[in-house]
Amino acid sequence: MHLADSALPIGSAAHSFGLESLVAEELLTVDALGGFLHDCLEESGMLEGAFCRAAHNTGAARWTELNELLSARKPARESRLAGLALGRRFMQLFLAMEGGYDPGGEPHYCTAFGYAGRALGIEEAVTVSAYLHQSMSALISACQRLLPLGQQRAARLLWDLKPAIVEAARANHVELHAAGSFTPLVEMASMRHVALATRLFIS
Amino acid sequence: MSTGHLALEFALDTGTSRTVLRINEQRQPLKVVRAFDLDAGAALVHIHNLSGGVLAGDRLSLDLTVGPRASAQLTSTGATRVYRSRPSAPPAEFSIRVRVCQDGLLEYLPDPLIPFAGCHYAQHTEVELEDGAGLFWWETIAPGREARGEVFSYDALELSFRLQAGGLPVAIERSDLDPAVRPLSSAARLGPYRYFSSFYICRAGTDANTWRDLETSLREVAQQLSSPVIIWGLSALPAHGIVVRALSLNGREIASGLVAFWRVAKQLLYGRDAVIPRKIY
Repeated sequence: MHLADSALPIGSAAHSFGLESLVAEELLTVDALGGFLHDCLEESGMLEGAFCRAAHNTGAARWTELNELLSARKPARESRLAGLALGRRFMQLFLAMEGGYDPGGEPHYCTAFGYAGRALGIEEAVTVSAYLHQSMSALISACQRLLPLGQQRAARLLWDLKPAIVEAARANHVELHAAGSFTPLVEMASMRHVALATRLFIS
Repeated sequence: MSTGHLALEFALDTGTSRTVLRINEQRQPLKVVRAFDLDAGAALVHIHNLSGGVLAGDRLSLDLTVGPRASAQLTSTGATRVYRSRPSAPPAEFSIRVRVCQDGLLEYLPDPLIPFAGCHYAQHTEVELEDGAGLFWWETIAPGREARGEVFSYDALELSFRLQAGGLPVAIERSDLDPAVRPLSSAARLGPYRYFSSFYICRAGTDANTWRDLETSLREVAQQLSSPVIIWGLSALPAHGIVVRALSLNGREIASGLVAFWRVAKQLLYGRDAVIPRKIY
């Protein structure tokens, strides 16, 4: 729970992963958020869940390859670099607190989280659920700063996503080579984020 | 139902400094007739599908090798139409395997893919670039036969694309589109847009400064071409290239936009003009 807390000092509050552009271009509204987040879970949540699970299963073995494969699946540089920056900081913090073997390289956030879950002996599905939960929580938090979204409604949104989070975390039938996602509008938003005149977020 | 296959090899004839086409195998309905000479010694080839489109159960495959320092341009003769499947029919499949050898160049510039209502189509592409190898590769997916009111009425579209350069995976796309189950109009997917297009611009081993300059130039093009109808975006890949994306309400402005990006990129990476494939548009 500590590692999945949004207050963990790794900088996740500085990233919107393209949401800032979506809101700026009026492609995302408060009323559409519930469906949007659910669909994000079906797409990028399944993808990141598969990589989190793979890191939990394999640990340091195939570590570089695993992270390279995920980088290749993230066409938008800002979002890719955001995932890598969070992964690096998460891994540094985790190793500083817990110790253990540093697999090095450039980990993504989801693979670093899976690695930590394995190192702590936390069950695979619980690890993936925790990762996806904090990931959705971070997106909702970003939306609270971008949209007229109050605390109660934000809490309700996250609550309503829990069955989908559990379902995505249990999707252990998704083979890594077959893992993918279809989020072209979100990727496009991330690609266009750099051109926004005013930016609250790094990504 | 057919098992069309094309195995094509492009090689540089050092005597004439021209790229020549070798057809190692061709099995209907896929067919090429001849190669046309282009400026700078490149060869242009049109890929024909004699059956007029992709039928349920088709197993089509294309193997392409562009030899060292050879330069090839491939295009289709029209949009790839994927016809309706019977519910019991197996999906139609198209498998594409490409290898561009050292300092070779491949320009793969097909017309859009149009998945008809009720079709089930899987397309798997693998591209390998050796050191110095270049690639201009675009692909546009239409929502269906819009004029007939068919918008995202296909049963399933499985698209996978894997691009590797110097042994490193630089782009992997994998989408299983099932519009009836996972609506494409979600803001997480296409939102209000109906057409989507990807354009990969690569040259393995090119230095980071060149990519930065190209990205700056292409970003200006994206800004100029984006409108309420179509949006363009681009991003550097993890290495060796850039991907340009378009999302559009209609298909009219995509082709000309892709050409605009291609012209800028080819000039910067190769110091040559991009020549639009000779065919009826």
